[in-house]
Amino acid sequence: MNSNNFWKLLGGLGLSFLFPWLFLIVIPFIGASNAEPIPYGEGDEIAGGVLSYPNKADLRHGASDYGRQIYAAEGCSYCHTQVIRPTYAGPDMWRVGWGGREEEDGGFARETQPMDYATESFAPLGYQRIGQDLSNVGHRIEKAAREQQAQAVEEDPSNAEHPITARALMHRHLSDPKGLDPESGMPAYLHLYEESPYGEGLLPTPEAEALVDYLLSLKKDQPLPASMRE
Amino acid sequence: MTLPQTTPEDLNERAAIDRSARYPVMFFFTSAAAWLFFATVMGLVSSIKLRVPGLWDACPFLGYGRLFPVHCNALVYGWAMQAGIGVMLWLMARLTRSRFEHPVALIVCGHIWNAGVALAVFSIWVGAGRSIPLLDFPAWIWPVLAISYASIVVWVIPMFQNRRNKLFYVSELYLIGAAVWFPWIFFTANLVINKGSAPVMGAGTNAWYLSNLIYFWMAPVAIAVAYYIIPKISGRPIYSYPLAQASFWLLAVLAGWTGFSRYMGGPFPAWMSAVSGAAAIFSLLAILATVVNLMLTLRGCTKLWEYSPSLRFTMLGMLMLAVWALLSATSSTFVFGKNLQFSHFLVGMDTLAYYGFFSMTMFGAIYFIVPRVTGAEWPSATGIRTHFWFSTYGIVTMVVTMLVGGIAQGGNLAQWDQIFSASFVNASAYVVGRAIAWFLITLSNFIFLYQLALMFLGKGRKSEGPTLLHTEPGEAANAREVVGIH
Repeated sequence: MNSNNFWKLLGGLGLSFLFPWLFLIVIPFIGASNAEPIPYGEGDEIAGGVLSYPNKADLRHGASDYGRQIYAAEGCSYCHTQVIRPTYAGPDMWRVGWGGREEEDGGFARETQPMDYATESFAPLGYQRIGQDLSNVGHRIEKAAREQQAQAVEEDPSNAEHPITARALMHRHLSDPKGLDPESGMPAYLHLYEESPYGEGLLPTPEAEALVDYLLSLKKDQPLPASMRE
Repeated sequence: MTLPQTTPEDLNERAAIDRSARYPVMFFFTSAAAWLFFATVMGLVSSIKLRVPGLWDACPFLGYGRLFPVHCNALVYGWAMQAGIGVMLWLMARLTRSRFEHPVALIVCGHIWNAGVALAVFSIWVGAGRSIPLLDFPAWIWPVLAISYASIVVWVIPMFQNRRNKLFYVSELYLIGAAVWFPWIFFTANLVINKGSAPVMGAGTNAWYLSNLIYFWMAPVAIAVAYYIIPKISGRPIYSYPLAQASFWLLAVLAGWTGFSRYMGGPFPAWMSAVSGAAAIFSLLAILATVVNLMLTLRGCTKLWEYSPSLRFTMLGMLMLAVWALLSATSSTFVFGKNLQFSHFLVGMDTLAYYGFFSMTMFGAIYFIVPRVTGAEWPSATGIRTHFWFSTYGIVTMVVTMLVGGIAQGGNLAQWDQIFSASFVNASAYVVGRAIAWFLITLSNFIFLYQLALMFLGKGRKSEGPTLLHTEPGEAANAREVVGIH
């Protein structure tokens, strides 16, 4: 065979791969890159002056974007997913709190949509589910903090002066997960905390604060415009 | 039908090719084996860490989230790709009867590749990783890997163009395919992900990259090795040449569509994971046709398996490839996939691909190539046997525990009204299996690295015949006749 056949072979290899490359990657990529926020229709607006989905005001900046980098650098997404599948692919929606705020909290659970990740440069869908899904961890922690606070006040009304914040609870999740749930499989991220100079306890580093900013911002349940709901 | 007889001129020519290949090929193999040892130790440590989460909490470098990507990247770029490149170069030189024209340039580029891998692994370890499986390293590292890969593998093309024989070997087809496809998927994946303008497509492209790295690089290189070694050792022609060609083109047309089924029900248009699932099922056809073709080539002389280490590793690698393709196809359907897709099963599948079929076949090739390029025989048959059995037990333990553990974990996750940590607690026993598997594999690769280092240093056994796995007097002499084709 002469070298001409080499180019024929190369052509064949190229052609066979061109179609999946074009139709599965390139065209959807260009389409997704040019996606525009979808405005809410007349009478369909949600509270708080949010005009479109995804909300442009949610764009990550400052600490929460730094937190996203910490999340990636610590490899959180090797154990935590951020994807709520529709019920035909798994019962994610039925697990309390995974799909977003439940009805009694004034929200509704839904599966994640492509535009929910518009605030990131890479959607951390995750690798395995060793730990909980984090799509709506912000809501879950806020709710848990409210519940713990209510219980603490019930036990001793003077606790109302020292409220349990979602922030503090999130820090506790990172620095002492076994203290919250003895069966938890999560390691403590002690290197993100320092010994407190005021005696007992841990002091979060700027990295830990940024990570908590990021985690508390994870709420992928913005109500969809009517045009997307059909 | 038998193969044409080899003449003394042929033997001299082969020896000259092997001599020209010695230093670059041995460089790639030895540094690959060192990376493999490192990667398997990391696999062991990360599995222990996953089983006992509270261990070494204060040390940032021993978190599972860093150890696991360090392990994967070292295993794939340090070991698998590097060993594959070495095998690819040698095989192409032998098939096309061309010598290595620029061994020094290859070694220099090989150092750049190793530096790139070291930077990638180190940056993940110190906390600059991006949690993008197999593309975790910071964005500036990928051009280093891309350029050094291109400057090494580009030498395959002049070899192929200058070949003298009219016959078109199947192995050549697969090697050229692998050489051309990898840069394509690597460039695409890195450009799409680093552009960052479509976050969800970035994740999808990553899944596509992971799957295509296996279908379009690892599988072709491994199959090329099998199509070379099995006819060579058995002394028979490939059972069906048209079938081999047809299954190559079937794989080429289909496998590019795979990958998105990793995120069934994810935030993608539903057709994407459906098409990917279908493509994985049809690709099974191509892989099974290949493996059956190779097994039929060996029909009637399977006894050779007992003697030849190369044949033994290669055959097992090909069987593992069939198992991998089968599991990959079944888990691409909703019935099996929806509970398995985020479970331990995924780790079992990826390890089965990287270690089970690819590495096993590469071991087969390395046991074949190294004595020829160094002119010495492997120091110890016991060492090879131990390497084989420990690796086999290791990978089988891994796949079985991860499959069963994946079903257990996935089943627990699907019980949405049960407490979440049950899925972790119930699956953690299987993680012990994963740690044991990596322990066995680490042990086997220590022996491999030791033997290879001896060969690299020129301390191999000087002997008339090759190192065979059985050494009973009568049998061995008999086996040498059939196996000892240089």
